[in-house]
Amino acid sequence: MKVVVTGASSLLGRTVALALAERGDSVTCFQRSASGTELAEVRGDIRDGAALLAAAAGHDALIHLAALVAPRAAWSDAYGVNVTGTVNAQRAGELCGRFVHISSPSVAFKNVPAVGVGAEPACYAGRDVYTRSKAIAEQLVLIDNDVPTIVVRPHLVWGPGDTQLVGRIVARAKQHRLAVPGHGRALIDTTYVDDAARAIIAALDHAVPGDEACGKAWVVTGADPRPVADLMNGILLAAGLRASVRSVPAPVAAFAGRLAQSFWPGSEPPITHFAARQLSVAHWFDQRETQRVLDWTPRVSVDEGLARLAAWFRAPR
Amino acid sequence: MARPSNGPRSDEFGASPSPDQLRRWGLEPSWSRRVTFEDAHGSRLSWHVLDTGSGPLGTIVCVHGNPSWGYLWRDVLRNLSPGWRVIAVDQTGMGYSDRPGPRRLDERVDELVRFCRQEVNDPLVLVAHDWGGPIAVGAAGALETRALILTNTAVAKPDDVPVPPLIALARKLTAFSCERTPLFVDGAAAMTAQVHREALRAPYRRASRRRAIADFVADIPVRASDPSWAALEKSASTFAALECPILLLWGGRDPVFHDRFLRDLRRRAPQAHVERFAKAGHYVCLDVPIGTVIGNWLEEALSERSTPAPSRRLLLGDAGGSSNATPLRSVLASVQERSGDSSLVYEGPDGTITWRDLATRSSLAAAVLRRHGVAAGDRVSLLIGPSVDLLVATFAIWKVGGVIVVADASAGAVRLRRLVRGAAPSHIIGTPATLAAARLGRFSPGARLAAFASLPGVTDLRGPVEAAFVAPVLRNAALAAVVHTSGATGPAKPVRYTHGALAAQRDVLAHLWNIDTNEAFTTSFGPFMPLAPVIGMGFVRPDFDVNRPSELDFDTLSSAVAKGPVTTAWLSPASARVVATTSHGRRLLLRLVMLAGAPVPRSLVQQIQDVTQGEVRTPYGMTECLPVTDGTNPLANFALGGTATGRPLPGALVAVVALDDPRGPVLDDGAWGEILISAPWMFDGYDAKWSADSTTTIYREGVRFHRTGDVGYLCDGNLFQLGRAQHVLRTACGPLASVAVEEPVADALRRPVAAVAVGPPGSSVVALVISDQGKLRLAPASFAKAARAATPHQIAAVLVGRLPTDRRHQSKVDRTGLAESVSRFLAGR
Repeated sequence: MKVVVTGASSLLGRTVALALAERGDSVTCFQRSASGTELAEVRGDIRDGAALLAAAAGHDALIHLAALVAPRAAWSDAYGVNVTGTVNAQRAGELCGRFVHISSPSVAFKNVPAVGVGAEPACYAGRDVYTRSKAIAEQLVLIDNDVPTIVVRPHLVWGPGDTQLVGRIVARAKQHRLAVPGHGRALIDTTYVDDAARAIIAALDHAVPGDEACGKAWVVTGADPRPVADLMNGILLAAGLRASVRSVPAPVAAFAGRLAQSFWPGSEPPITHFAARQLSVAHWFDQRETQRVLDWTPRVSVDEGLARLAAWFRAPR
Repeated sequence: MARPSNGPRSDEFGASPSPDQLRRWGLEPSWSRRVTFEDAHGSRLSWHVLDTGSGPLGTIVCVHGNPSWGYLWRDVLRNLSPGWRVIAVDQTGMGYSDRPGPRRLDERVDELVRFCRQEVNDPLVLVAHDWGGPIAVGAAGALETRALILTNTAVAKPDDVPVPPLIALARKLTAFSCERTPLFVDGAAAMTAQVHREALRAPYRRASRRRAIADFVADIPVRASDPSWAALEKSASTFAALECPILLLWGGRDPVFHDRFLRDLRRRAPQAHVERFAKAGHYVCLDVPIGTVIGNWLEEALSERSTPAPSRRLLLGDAGGSSNATPLRSVLASVQERSGDSSLVYEGPDGTITWRDLATRSSLAAAVLRRHGVAAGDRVSLLIGPSVDLLVATFAIWKVGGVIVVADASAGAVRLRRLVRGAAPSHIIGTPATLAAARLGRFSPGARLAAFASLPGVTDLRGPVEAAFVAPVLRNAALAAVVHTSGATGPAKPVRYTHGALAAQRDVLAHLWNIDTNEAFTTSFGPFMPLAPVIGMGFVRPDFDVNRPSELDFDTLSSAVAKGPVTTAWLSPASARVVATTSHGRRLLLRLVMLAGAPVPRSLVQQIQDVTQGEVRTPYGMTECLPVTDGTNPLANFALGGTATGRPLPGALVAVVALDDPRGPVLDDGAWGEILISAPWMFDGYDAKWSADSTTTIYREGVRFHRTGDVGYLCDGNLFQLGRAQHVLRTACGPLASVAVEEPVADALRRPVAAVAVGPPGSSVVALVISDQGKLRLAPASFAKAARAATPHQIAAVLVGRLPTDRRHQSKVDRTGLAESVSRFLAGR
């Protein structure tokens, strides 16, 4: 199969592209900067529909991972990348004949504990531009699709080389700025990057006419939820850091997040309101239906993932 | 005769409730319609009914009492349609029906019969409340009735019950209380929740609309000279002769039709099924979702495969079924045989008594009880702690054929009152203090009080010396006791035992304990005490509060053992733990120690073995059936873990079946599931708890099994218990028995551990709580790691904190409550 992967410079995008190539698919990466792989690539901006259509010509499928994750991006940028970019990607995917859109469980995050739930419909409860723009994009994808289309929502993807979750925790710990709302007791699902990539490829294989996975959004997790504090401590231990996690009362963290979101001078505030809420209430998912429909199960438990992370931190680079 | 001014259509409120009103009251406007039929005099009568139209299962006709109307059956209408056609009628002059003039009881019966003959062709189910009861019962005698359901009603005024004061008052002032003012209507409506009051009052807003309420009250017969006395008597005799299944649904907080009326109905129809709701009131039909109960009951009572209730003959007659054929040695036998024996049968902090004195004193008390009207089958509540008096009272009650009602005082006064009320005893035997409480708290209205003391208004059971008392023959099927489950794993339920079951229990315990009649035993369980003289053993009561099992320490137990020929002890795990930890290397020699009340950790078995140098057994059993297994090999181990409870006793049947499939095939050795048991010494049923009875009783190949709600497995003939079915962790990877997850972790960490499920059943994840002081919190990383390493199962979170335990045993962890706290904690807010 000839597959276009957008956003292949991210950890997850790169892992998906490499895994596809490894199993013998012909992969073309599409992103602005170098993918960091030796795979065929087309450099371009996802907002440039014509460029994407040109790159996708002659391919059988398109996996759309490109997204603007920065929580404090301007709305016009978030809209351009996450909404217009997705419209472009879907058009290119329709040209190919299969389309897999990568969304996020946060599009349905309603600020209340999500305990053992399935994939709830996207809503606009998210307070930041990322979740709001991703929610619009997902609904556009699901409302109208002409070719087999599947939406995958991997939850909190992490692994060696991850700059989002692992990178931020380690960086903050080194600055002694790591704090967690409400003792970090909220139970949270995460997904090890290899499992997320395998789930996306499973979705690609199920994007065929008549498959029950099509036309729906599927939350994907490692099905091994842990309290936030345990995860953070595990990551710090893997990184060889002695730092411990401080606790901030959850409402204080939420308030601080609201302030920081509005007034923090840099692009990377210490906490956002959304992040504070997400880290202080449980969200973990019932994966039985996803696993059955995608015919996929996670293989890397949190403990195994942390062991791999520790090995990666120890390895000379 | 008819009052034209009160004709239905001349009323300013209109003849029927408006669609808006009906919707507001939770009723479908389409149900409301009018039915016209001819009464015995050929006059046309127009009734308002709520009629759901049609239903493949049949028709249910609901009859209200006074002062109410068809709205009363809201839950039945809503829950049983469209399977059933439900018709809730408004009687003549009531609700939204015609107001032609006064009606007597026999006329009302006749009208209901005519209505049913016109509207319902097939056999029907009758449901009634309050004074609708005698009307429906009267009609049931004339119609083809498939089943009868009565809620808080009476078919006769019991001889020993005065006219309910509310009714007596209303009768004295009928015109004032019922017609001219809405006092009676409002007073009745106030007995249920606010939401129902508007609907209950609506058809009775004006004095002219209330005319029939006054007539109805005036017609209630209270003496033989009243015009409707004969009709009521007829209803009573019809009721006693009914062949159809009967269900009595009862609200326990009804000042009008209180539990004495329920007792009367049960006496007239002992085969009736009973469901009593302790917290519901007069309007039980509005206070609890009776629709669901009625639906379940009808399904079972009318289905082909249903097992018939014990027949009237078995319960009342002298000849009975097979279990009655050979009367076992009576529970009184040992006491009677040893009536000349001057050795001690009981020794406790309150005093001692010999076998001879027990025989004499219990006969004296029995004579007093008989003189005061305690007859065979009457219930006598015992509000006495373990003492000489308790033994004397127990045997006295049995000697007159009465039923002892034992309620655990540790339940607290409020619960104790509820348990005593539920049993509706005719007598209460207590101490001056407990009788004062019973009197003050109105534990059982109308029950007579008795004590081994001279108190004003209380029967003195010490009585005068009289001629020898002749005890009746105790039939196996006759009730002997009503005891109560601890409520550690759910609300406390009353449990009935027959004399046959107690005699069988005595024999199996004698076998299990290998009893020598010169031996004595001691226990930390109060309710086990009367067992000793039944078995033929002595009993020594340790000097501690039986309601606080953890107060029994080594010294208390050893001073009890030193008193008599004590060779056997029956301890709760909580007591055993305290005895072991306070022994400080000392020994207390015993032949046999029973540890009951699982879970019993292996380490505890070992410690008790060391302290007593005796044989330790951990038999499986529960309030409903004790014991089930012999408790041998308490240290046996098997891959799945759990408490080893030994082999099923001779005569007991144990079957392990898949969770949620009690009728399915029996599982293989080593596969765990729910434990079903059957034994001749098993309980007779829950008292006035039809729903609990029906969900926990399973017939397999004609044998009655009890669903224990426990999970476990059989291996090489040994039964291992793995905790409660309700505590099974229903994870996405399949069900896990809580105990199987906890044990290896507890062993590794040397601390009590509880495993609870977090999240929706079927997709939940497992959290472990390790026992520690203080509030729930996340466990330190090293602790969590060690806990995870000890189990192959996926653990989402490891916490530390205090494990809540039950009141009675102080050893069973309240996993349901703990699961709620853990879920709240891990939800993050």
